[in-house]
Formats: sequence, structure tokens, C-alpha cells
Amino acid sequence: MTTNWTCEQTESRLIDYLDGLLQPAELAAFHGHAQTCDRCAPLISSVTGVLTNLHALPELDTPPQLIYSILDKTLGPRDTVAGWAVVLAWFRHFSLPRLAYGTASLAITFLILATASGFSWRKPKMADLSPASVFHNADRQAHLVYARGTKFVSDLRVVYEIQSRLRQDNELPSANEETIPQSAPGNKTPGSTDGTDPTVPKQQNRANDSQKNQQVLAVTLVPVAVIPSFAIFSSALCTRRNP
Amino acid sequence: MEQDAQLVQQCLQGDGPAWEELVRRHTRRIYNICYRFTGNGAEAEDLSQDVFLRVYRTLASYRSAHGGFATWVTSVTRNLLIDHYRRTKRDRITDSLDDAMPVVENKQSSARRPDELALLGELSNQVQAALLKLSPELREAVILRDLQQLEYGEIQLTLEIPEGTVKSRINRGRIELARILQQMGVRPS
Repeated sequence: MTTNWTCEQTESRLIDYLDGLLQPAELAAFHGHAQTCDRCAPLISSVTGVLTNLHALPELDTPPQLIYSILDKTLGPRDTVAGWAVVLAWFRHFSLPRLAYGTASLAITFLILATASGFSWRKPKMADLSPASVFHNADRQAHLVYARGTKFVSDLRVVYEIQSRLRQDNELPSANEETIPQSAPGNKTPGSTDGTDPTVPKQQNRANDSQKNQQVLAVTLVPVAVIPSFAIFSSALCTRRNP
Repeated sequence: MEQDAQLVQQCLQGDGPAWEELVRRHTRRIYNICYRFTGNGAEAEDLSQDVFLRVYRTLASYRSAHGGFATWVTSVTRNLLIDHYRRTKRDRITDSLDDAMPVVENKQSSARRPDELALLGELSNQVQAALLKLSPELREAVILRDLQQLEYGEIQLTLEIPEGTVKSRINRGRIELARILQQMGVRPS
């Protein structure tokens, strides 16, 4: 059941209505009166509008000198620094460990990047710092490093293969001695056979002659202590003398 | 609020930067209260300085148990505004309100059209003019609630009046403001 409110009630509870604090029954009575009262309906509408206007008022910025004048009046006028003292005061900020460490790190990073990008410290030119130059130098350096790295890896592979073959060749003489025929071909008498299978190819008896000269090409790898990714090669002849 | 209490303790021990931090935190709010109450930028600046000068001198009397530091500073501001109002009451009778009203800076979003900005600026001026026509008791209640968005409890502590009286003054202030704006020919938004 809706209770009819008076204009005084409506006006006094207007603040609760705008705050959304009216109970459902009270809200119904409030609306019921507002819909029928020629005085309260425009009042509610105008106060609602005033609230919107008040909330729309901008918050003003503080005048820039206000804070400083307050501080001057409370803490006293600040000491002004002039001349070289200003410069020294500015540099004093770098005495802070964290700031000094950060500045040093930044400087070193810049040095490394500039060197990697091809900037010449002996003959510095501003043109070297242009984006196009930096890109060109960085691209060239990257290709150089890649090419040298690839060559190094392929050379290592060649060395490894040759060393593997040499190792295999060193192992061959002990195996071949067992298969070498006991009698030389020149000692055969007519009509006699050496008992070997004529279909099997005959081993030559060069391996039996340990003093026989043999020339093979070998390479040695000599590491160069310049930049770890580079290496140079030298050729050497090695001989095996057979008695 | 806890940070304010910590800064106050540091100020009481002679920490100058702590006081500077307190000033920076609260200057804008105090300036806005003073400006909305007086309607004059120069007076608002002078009153703001007086507020912080009094706060600085009586900082030792602040007790966090009686409310936050912001509430205490607002209370000091309100007392100085009432004193200023009483002191200048005689002058206000003879001065024109338009002389005391600087142009309100429009801080609305730049996305608005120029004509909208102009309308909003004019409306702000009219609302400010209507505020100045309220009695000081109603004006301070409306400013603290509807412009500073303070809770009824904070306003109760600031004005040192019961909460029922706070709500009554706010309600009457709004109704009076609506009547004044209607008389000025301003249509509510």
C-alpha cells in the first residue's frame, strides 16, 4: 500500500532519494507524490540538474607559484646557487652509486654497439653514425663472421676426414700380413701351384716392405690466437720410409 | 592517509622534504575549496597560503585519532574561509559580483567541440556565481559534498556538526541553488 507523502517529506528526503537510500516502500511513496504534485516534480528535476552541473564543474589547476610561495613562507626562502656551483651541483648527482653504475653501463653499451657497427674511433666521422651506414656495416660484419665460421667448420671436417683415413691406413699393415701369399710369384716351378684361389685378386706385397718410401699429403691444424672463430692451415709432407 | 601521518611525524622531526611533500599533495584540493567558496583566484591563493601557514605552525596539535590529516586540513581551511567571509562581509555588500569573478578555466576534454566548450565554460561561471549567492553554511556544505566528494562523516568532522545537520544543510543548499539558477534563467542539465 502506497502512503501519500507531503511536499515537506518529499523535500526533506530528497537527499536520500538522490543518494539511492530510500527503502522500496518509501521510494514508491516518493514517486507517487512526485507524479501528482505540481510543485515537487519540477523541484526534483531542477535539483537533479543542479547536481549534474556541480559534478561537471572542473577541478582547477594550482597556480604554479603557489606551492613555492607556501614553501617560502613556511620553510623560508631557498638558497639560490649561481655560477660554477650550479655545474658542480649537477655533477654531484652522479656521485650516487646507482646513477654512476647506470651511466657507466650505458656508456660501455654505446661503445660496444658503435664498435660493432663499424664506427672508426681513430678517424671518427659523423656519417658512420647514420642509420644507413650502421645497417650497412652491421650487415657486412655479420656476413663476414658467418662466412669465416662456415669455412672454419668445413676445414675442421676435412682435417677430421684425413686424420680418420690416416688412422685407417696405420691399421692396415697388421691385417694385410695375414693375407699376403707365402711364396713369391717368381719362385713357382712349372706345373706347380701355390694353392691359392685364382679368382681372388692377389695382394701386392708392398705393405710388407716397411722401408719403402711412401708420400702422402697431410695437413696440420695450427690454431691462431687472434679471434677464436678463425684458423689458418699449413701443408706439410710427411714420408714413411720402408726399409 | 597512513602516508600523511608518516609525513607529519617526519615533519615534526624537522624533515623539510616531508613538509614539501605534504604541501604538494594537498595544495590543489585546498585551492579548489578556497576558490569555489570565494570565487576569486587571488583571494583563493592568499587563503591557501594562510591555511598551510597555520597547519605548519600547529602541526604538533594534529592527532590522527581525530580523523585523517586531509580532514584536519579541510577543517582549518573551513575556519579560515568563515573568518575571511565575516571579515569581508561589509565589502561584499558594495562590490559587484562580476568584478570578483575571474573566468573559470575550462578543463573539459579536448574532444569536445569549441561551441560545447564555450557553453560549458559559461555554465560553470553561472553555477559558480549561484554558489556565491548561497549563505556560507549552505555553500560550504554543498562544496564539500558535491565538489570535493567527501563522505557525510568527514563533513561532520570538518564542520563539527551532527550528521543530520550536515545532510539538512546539503539538501537545503541544493534546493536553494536550483532556485537561484532558475531565477538566473539557467536551465538544468
